Amino acid sequence: MKEKLKAIKAAAQNAIAAADSENIIEELRVKYLGKKGELTAILKQMGSLSPEERPAMGQLVNEAKQELETLIAEKKEALKAKATELKLKAETIDITMPAKEINAGGLHPLNIVINDMIDIFQSMGFDVVDGPEVETDYYNFECLNVPADHPARDMQDTFYLAENLLLRTQTSAAQIRTMETRKPPIRVICPGRVFRADEVDATHSPVFHQLEGLVVDKGITMCDLKGVLEQFAREIYGSDTKVRFRPSFFPFTEPSVEVDVSCSECGGKGCRVCKGAGWIEILGAGMVHPNVLRCCGIDPDVYSGFAFGIGIDRITTTRYKISDIRLLFENDKRFLDQF
Amino acid sequence: MKISLNTLKYYVDINVPVEELCDRMVMAGFEVEDIEKQGDEIKNVVAAKILKIAPHENSDHLQICSMDTGAGEPVQIVTGAQNIHEGDYVPAALDNSYLPGGVHIVSGKLRGVESNGMLCSGKELGLTESDYEGAEVNGILILKGEPTPGTDIRKVIGLDDYIIDFKITANRPDCNCFLGVAKEISVVLGTKFTAPKPEYKTAGGNINDYISIDVRNFDLCPRYIGRVVKNLRIKESPEWMKKAITASGMRPINNIVDITNFVMLETGQPMHAFNYNDIRGHKIIVRNAAEGESITTLDGKEHKLTPDMLVIADGEQPSCLAGVMGGKESEIENDTTDLFLESAKFRRDNIRHTCRALGVRTEASSRYERGTDIMNVEYASERALQLISDLDAGDIIDGTIDINDGLPEDRIINVTTDKIMELIGVDVPDEKIADILNSLGLTTVLNGKELTVRVPSIRDDIEGRADLAEEVMRIYGYNHIVGTPMRGDVVRGKKLPERIKTDKIKALLCGAGAREIATYSFIGSGAVDTLLLDKNDERRNQIKIINPLGDEYSVMRTQLTTSMLTVLATNISRKITAGRFFEISKRFIAKSLPITEQPDELATMSVGIYGKDEDFFTLKGIIESIMKLCGAHTEYERSTEPYLHPGRQALVKANNVPAAVFGEVHPAVAEEYGIDCRVYVAEIKLDILLQINKRKTVYKPLPKFPAVERDFAMLCDSDLPVGTLEKAIIKGAGRLLEKIELFDVYSGAQIPEGKKSVAYSVWLRSADGTLTDTEIEAASSSIIKNLESVGAELRK
Repeated sequence: MKEKLKAIKAAAQNAIAAADSENIIEELRVKYLGKKGELTAILKQMGSLSPEERPAMGQLVNEAKQELETLIAEKKEALKAKATELKLKAETIDITMPAKEINAGGLHPLNIVINDMIDIFQSMGFDVVDGPEVETDYYNFECLNVPADHPARDMQDTFYLAENLLLRTQTSAAQIRTMETRKPPIRVICPGRVFRADEVDATHSPVFHQLEGLVVDKGITMCDLKGVLEQFAREIYGSDTKVRFRPSFFPFTEPSVEVDVSCSECGGKGCRVCKGAGWIEILGAGMVHPNVLRCCGIDPDVYSGFAFGIGIDRITTTRYKISDIRLLFENDKRFLDQF
Repeated sequence: MKISLNTLKYYVDINVPVEELCDRMVMAGFEVEDIEKQGDEIKNVVAAKILKIAPHENSDHLQICSMDTGAGEPVQIVTGAQNIHEGDYVPAALDNSYLPGGVHIVSGKLRGVESNGMLCSGKELGLTESDYEGAEVNGILILKGEPTPGTDIRKVIGLDDYIIDFKITANRPDCNCFLGVAKEISVVLGTKFTAPKPEYKTAGGNINDYISIDVRNFDLCPRYIGRVVKNLRIKESPEWMKKAITASGMRPINNIVDITNFVMLETGQPMHAFNYNDIRGHKIIVRNAAEGESITTLDGKEHKLTPDMLVIADGEQPSCLAGVMGGKESEIENDTTDLFLESAKFRRDNIRHTCRALGVRTEASSRYERGTDIMNVEYASERALQLISDLDAGDIIDGTIDINDGLPEDRIINVTTDKIMELIGVDVPDEKIADILNSLGLTTVLNGKELTVRVPSIRDDIEGRADLAEEVMRIYGYNHIVGTPMRGDVVRGKKLPERIKTDKIKALLCGAGAREIATYSFIGSGAVDTLLLDKNDERRNQIKIINPLGDEYSVMRTQLTTSMLTVLATNISRKITAGRFFEISKRFIAKSLPITEQPDELATMSVGIYGKDEDFFTLKGIIESIMKLCGAHTEYERSTEPYLHPGRQALVKANNVPAAVFGEVHPAVAEEYGIDCRVYVAEIKLDILLQINKRKTVYKPLPKFPAVERDFAMLCDSDLPVGTLEKAIIKGAGRLLEKIELFDVYSGAQIPEGKKSVAYSVWLRSADGTLTDTEIEAASSSIIKNLESVGAELRK
């Protein structure tokens, strides 16, 4: 019986080793381990053995059974792995074939820049407000210390809709509306569309965008103005950007400054972008004119404030090196797709 | 304001190179628009002596010159000019030289004879008579004296000046003149400034015997000074005056006219010279123009005047348009013998108004518009007389007529140094503050921290501490300002809810593959016609721009579709095969027309799509996702927009309010835009969607019990909208309905004429337990009953 067991085991081992498909393995399992299998048959013959022989023989048969079960399981696993491997190999694809396009759209470059600017000022505690694009003469000029027939009106070509109504030439109009409705401390920005009767060319557009900023509180100084603008400039142009104030004139601020940032292209050494100056003019700013504060019912002897107006289109065209401002309003998809 | 450096040096010591001067002026508030070096374009042109002139064999007008150019060996140059002689000194442009206008001179042959350069005329060197005598004669410029051959021609003819173009800000009208700029330079450089002190000889007489002056409107003419000069000796002005005038962009005419112009450029105060003998009745009357009056000005143009315009009239009629331009009749001409000289202050807004109304602008009017100083009127008059005397241009009659309604006192500002500097946040020593203000001509007394500042009328722009702060800082230096980080309570900036919602909608659209566009807020007035809008359509109530850039930008848009179609057309014409675009902007709705108050500016959105995979339902999907985001309950109705395909458009109601229209663009409209394919647009009243309060999201438990799917196939009239069937199913299924899906619409073979087959899958589920057959059966028959009631018959 022992011999027989040995022979069966050897035959099974050979057969399992030679098997090359999961089907054959299954057949072998049935042949040897199944209810009518050869090992099962031996177990059934155990009754013919003496009680002394039985345990040893039983152990031998069980060992042989376990051995074969393990072999079969291992072989099954190996064959399955092989089959998977072959299948995967057959499924190899050309990964350089074109992607199935996920057409994500995107914001207009101007709004990408506006959103960035909003984030910067929001983090410094500025509320974001809106103002009307059709303004009254009062809000756009008069209350901003530009009375009728003031020569400063020549600085801007205004689109008029009626005697007293115009398309705002500056987001500064929002300053007045803010100061009329809020009490100091005031910290707001107003991004928006502005209009000037400029003929269209590569650097001029009758429709463009500004971001107005206004801070009013007790003890606000020009140093605070510079601090805020430095923070802004570093976020927009890079951490080593420098800010320079140049005296200038705006009717609604006093003192007034033009604000230059060190050219991000050459770091201030002078290049084609900054026309050799090392500086790029990005905005106008100043301390809110006492007349403007007074016009809004804020006592200029108690409160002071600063205001600034940033040209968004200019920042957009310099950031993306867009050579012609008209591209922003033409909306060619191949242009828009780049942002 | 263009000023030559040499002119400035007459008034102020300039001890730094011109570039440094300009840099420092920029940092003091005087932007420099241009620095033009005279003769900058001239290179390798030298003074040369003509050694010998020989005729040219092959030409009867060319001559061959042997020139001493300082090079040792004589240089041969061929010229066509005839006004030269041996021994003359002339400008010679050598081989590889440059003349104004980029003219490049190189050696070559003229009719077979070698010529190593060119002899130059004054014109070729860019000179006029005011630069160098004889510059405008026909032929070669003959140099005066005996300059060393080889000397740079610019040195020989005195082209060593710079013309600096300062941009004068609107608050500094006092700097639209030589003296104003020179004074600022003296403060910036800390050097000496000298203004001329007018002194002159008079010839006796009494002005009152010659003229009377009557100012009838002191409001428009607060001061008027008149002088009379007899026996004019009209001739050319001296070189220095002609140069100064030319550098500032004016043309020299004769000594009298040049003096008035020079004094205006020097002092900022416009002067006007009348031919005394043309003043009828020898009366000067400053008054408003009478209705119907007109005047022919110096430029020969006739202007019809209105009573709001100020004129200088004689005994009979207007003789000069006050502050703007003189009359042709009383013009100074070469044979004029006697002169009436005006120096006056006119109200700036009135001058501005007159100029705008008549479309005239002059050097004088632009100075009046910006504002002139009433106290300067006298100085300028005196200065002009000094020049007349110095240049021996006439005999000055004794006496001045000075008509004014009282002269202003200096403004006194009492303020502490702390109060000034607290606006800046920089520590400037008190004495320094006082010094700077004094140097600027603001007489300042410092007492402890108290300042008393006396502001003369010429610095009318200085009203209070903010102005003083600016004056101090622009001289002390803005580079002293050190940025401080934002101070105050730490707060997070807030956005308006509308902006937050709009940003979410934009994000959704971007996710749907749409590109945001930006277009102008104004469109052509005819765009509403192109959209075929009915003549009573409200969108025709467009607000007109009074002064548009052109008809295509002439009205404020009441809808965004026009702009969207333009963008689609642009892209299609550029062979871009597909695209999805959106814009969020404003539509401008007038409360009445013509407008008298601000219009409503309403948030509006447009969407436009085209391409082979796009259709009505793609756009419907986009709209639906927007509506869902906004929390709107949506219904669709057939609409009748004239610019859309009559069978492929819908009105969208959000919570029962019409909020959008979308569909395929009518081919006739598309054609107008040059669009040759199907395009789909939506116009969405975002203002309505932004008002919807979206219900707060509350989590619903996930289903515990299985769903049952049942299919319903039915026949109905082909024009019955599936929406009706859908509503019937929803109603029939009641609260058990989980989901409904249309999976087939078919007409054709095996379907009767005029009918269609429609099939839906319906999922039923209960949150309370597995549905029983009875429940399912009840729901199914209810669905079928409802379908039948709308005219659908179940297919067996």
